[in-house]
Amino acid sequence: MAAKDTVPSATGLERLVEALRVLPGVGPRSAQRMAYHLLQRDRGGAGQLAQALASALAGVHHCTRCNNFTEEEVCALCRSPRRDPSLLCVVETPADLAMVEQTLSYSGMYFVLLGRLSPLDGVGPRDIGLDRLLARAADGQVEEVILATNFTNEGEATAHYIAEMLRARGIRASRIARGVPLGGELEYVDAGTLSQALIERRAL
Amino acid sequence: MNRPRAEHEPGYVLHTYPYRETSLIVEAFTRRHGRTALIAKGARRPRSALRGVLLSFQPLRLSWSGGGEMRILVGADWQGAASLLRGAGLMCGFYLNELLLRLLPREDAHEALYDDYCEGLSRLAQGSLPTSTVLRMFERRLLAGLGYALQFDRDAADGAPIRPEGSYLYEPERGPVAANGAGGEMVVSGRTLLDMQADDYRRPETQAESRALMRALIGLRLHGQTLHTRAVLLELQEM
Ligand SMILES: [Zn+2]
Repeated sequence: MAAKDTVPSATGLERLVEALRVLPGVGPRSAQRMAYHLLQRDRGGAGQLAQALASALAGVHHCTRCNNFTEEEVCALCRSPRRDPSLLCVVETPADLAMVEQTLSYSGMYFVLLGRLSPLDGVGPRDIGLDRLLARAADGQVEEVILATNFTNEGEATAHYIAEMLRARGIRASRIARGVPLGGELEYVDAGTLSQALIERRAL
Repeated sequence: MNRPRAEHEPGYVLHTYPYRETSLIVEAFTRRHGRTALIAKGARRPRSALRGVLLSFQPLRLSWSGGGEMRILVGADWQGAASLLRGAGLMCGFYLNELLLRLLPREDAHEALYDDYCEGLSRLAQGSLPTSTVLRMFERRLLAGLGYALQFDRDAADGAPIRPEGSYLYEPERGPVAANGAGGEMVVSGRTLLDMQADDYRRPETQAESRALMRALIGLRLHGQTLHTRAVLLELQEM
């Protein structure tokens, strides 16, 4: 009888290494280091990680009003009576929302696009839920929509078309300002930023 | 390295794609080397100096090393001067970039077309000409640069001057011939042909007919592929 020459199936260790590589910035070598660490030095931590990941996957989804991550149907921020419902801030990602929150200078509501218009990649308005945003902004309470998309060409185009659609529906739109960073010394600011700051200068 | 490094080459970013963990593949359009793909190492790191520079529609000076398929970007400097695209002009810019990405072969210098591209972008930015005029002029120059020069002033069958009141069928490989009752996007009035020859797109009929004709002619070169920018624009208009 011929010897079995099938390739042995991947071991648990190999599957773990392979799975860790889904993380951003993790190549084969660091995935292997992480796997050894979890199995060798921190089996308790590994168990917690496995449970946290499973419960997050099962419980966390997007808020039906703002698209941010939540475990409820509508997130705590959207339900909060302390937030100003007349302001709606549009951002590209949940990370951007977290940054705006960190400023402690905004108390309105949010809408997370989970992307941006990217015509060259075929990403259009429906892919980023602009139909839902328009419905959200027309709830009768929103008076101003603040467009806080990125200052890339895609982010600018996204802001432009949202503003046009809102204007056509009689809703006020504004764009966050840009310029030299706080504490920024002109000598160290990149030329593109300084150029925009000059173009968008204001009277004193 | 089988090719000496290129230094401070005038160029534009047409599009970028994520590459590996922190890098980008930059599809650039350079004046002396045509369309070329460059790897920008670490350009997606949060503090990369390239982040604010490798944006479309701004004139850059690009330096790279290596030849063949693996050119490494070693420098990108902002050249300023040109004003940036904004609003609907951005979508026109994306459209020009998509045309170049789909139709222009790599590593083929097109200096005249590069200059047309710069001029088109600056007209879009300044609004010195209506956007439809800028687009039609660039489409025509692009096709000419690819070896499909269009002629609009003579009947291709007999060489007679185009009559403004006539109706013509544009045959892609020949030029305009008497329509003789034919229909479709390739049929245009003589007036429209003469306007296109003169880059004069003020007449609404000329705008509509030239748009359909150029779309059909470019469609032939795309071999049936649809342009993303056109689909996205259509979707935007429906909202
Ligand atoms: Zn919410």
